[in-house]
Amino acid sequence: MSLMSVEQLTKRYQSATVVDHISFQLEPGKCVALLGPNGAGKTTTLRMLAGFISPTEGEIHFNEDQFTYDNRHHVGYLPQYPVFHNWMTGEEFLMYVGQLAYLSKDEAKSKAHELLDLVRLSDDKQKRIGKFSGGMKQRLGIAQALMHDPKLVILDEPVSSLDPIGRREVLNLIRELKKDATILFSTHILNDAEEVSDDILLLNQGKLLKQGSIEDIHNQQDTKTIYLAFQDEPKFIEERLKEIDTVFNVTREHRDFVVAVHDVNDARAQLLTMIQSEGWALTKFEIAKSSLEDIFIKAVSE
Amino acid sequence: MQWQTIFKKEVLEHWRHFKWIWVPIVFILFAVMDPLTSYFMPIILESVGNVPEGATIDIPTPSAEQAMMMSFNQMNVLGVLIAVVISMGLISREVSSGVYELVLSKPVRFSSYITAKFTAMMVLISISIVVGLVTGWYYVTVLFGDIAFTQILASALFYLLYFMLILSIVMLFNSFLTSPGLVAFLSIITVIVLNAVTTIFDHVLTWSPALISNYISVYFYSGRIETELWFSSLTAVMLSIICLIASVFLLKRQEMH
Repeated sequence: MSLMSVEQLTKRYQSATVVDHISFQLEPGKCVALLGPNGAGKTTTLRMLAGFISPTEGEIHFNEDQFTYDNRHHVGYLPQYPVFHNWMTGEEFLMYVGQLAYLSKDEAKSKAHELLDLVRLSDDKQKRIGKFSGGMKQRLGIAQALMHDPKLVILDEPVSSLDPIGRREVLNLIRELKKDATILFSTHILNDAEEVSDDILLLNQGKLLKQGSIEDIHNQQDTKTIYLAFQDEPKFIEERLKEIDTVFNVTREHRDFVVAVHDVNDARAQLLTMIQSEGWALTKFEIAKSSLEDIFIKAVSE
Repeated sequence: MQWQTIFKKEVLEHWRHFKWIWVPIVFILFAVMDPLTSYFMPIILESVGNVPEGATIDIPTPSAEQAMMMSFNQMNVLGVLIAVVISMGLISREVSSGVYELVLSKPVRFSSYITAKFTAMMVLISISIVVGLVTGWYYVTVLFGDIAFTQILASALFYLLYFMLILSIVMLFNSFLTSPGLVAFLSIITVIVLNAVTTIFDHVLTWSPALISNYISVYFYSGRIETELWFSSLTAVMLSIICLIASVFLLKRQEMH
């Protein structure tokens, strides 16, 4: 049973359709990346799911709880640029939003301490938020989204504005959160999506172009790429490689041979047999996995 | 519960921004400034000199009632201005800075959000006005003559209703504008228009909230609370409630789009 189902979700502003009839299901315990170029409608979609803007058409509902009309009870939301009350301390802010979500003062306090530990801000809990760095604010933002134990955590571009260290910290945090919550986060950085998410949703110009697990989407691709490199470059290697029938193209990229194949299993077996029998000194054999970028660019430009 | 959370946070915010200190001080200054200067005016003129030889300075000393009304008149102008300025960003600043996104992503009721902010600010303004008027009353009784303390308290309570209306107008503009400056500007224009219309049609609009301070002055002189004071206060309360309901509605509509 899915956690949340979204049907024909649409948002129009005057004549512009920002989100155009998208439908998908979120499975419990999964981490889902919402991908798309800038202006694809990611933020609008997430805001509708978080329950503080209303859709023009379509329905969002939580399957576990059909009686609450306010989704905000079940969703923790981190906006793209979280802004806090700078005069508060981190602890005070967490307790404030926790109590807004109907926790008692004591519950809010213990939850705040637990989350400050999780996002490693315990040492700075008495510090005014105005003095926090960008990465600290982002981590506090994640903590505030978790205060009321939401079933679904929505993060809007949680890493795009961070430096590499901050980005690493937040990605590790997301990986930790995956253990006990469903996460939906938007990004335009494909590596991040590949690194932490199970499923992806690909959005462009308000339309959902692709959805599914990362493996499925890779498998849907009709061609695969294998990278090869050798110690001493064998003669006529390009011609020899093309003799294999599943190989349909060989090109060079610096020292690597880029072998395009139809069937990756078949190609692997045949290539290794050939290399073995010829006695070529193989230094690299890599089945390319980073083609999410290709898929993305291909889907968006179509 | 949620309402108290927002209320407490607002009170704390006013405290951290020192509003609990400077707003009462400013209202005390407004209340004592005119009575004091008019009491000491002959002395000031004398010591400044420049008075031609033989000229007699004959400024009639105001009565206690007149002196007390000076305090009220200062509040009518400068007090209103301060009240508008300290509340112009209550919601609009949270919306334009983006804090509201975090607050409204929690299951917050728009009505709690608005009424808690309104109440916290009203408590601050009320305490400042009462402290100011009581200080003004102290100097008036010392320098000019007796006025009953109960009379001051009663008139302060009526007067607070006028400020309640002003704060509600500020909340109304806050609910759909994101620029605090524009909120202040439009609120002040509204108050000026209310006063001007009341002055022009004062024989018809006897229940206008803008006349509350006039009726208070009548109360000082006659010692009787006129029925018009009750009616204009009632109008102030009704209009405030309408403004608050409208601002809940407008904020909800704005945020849900």
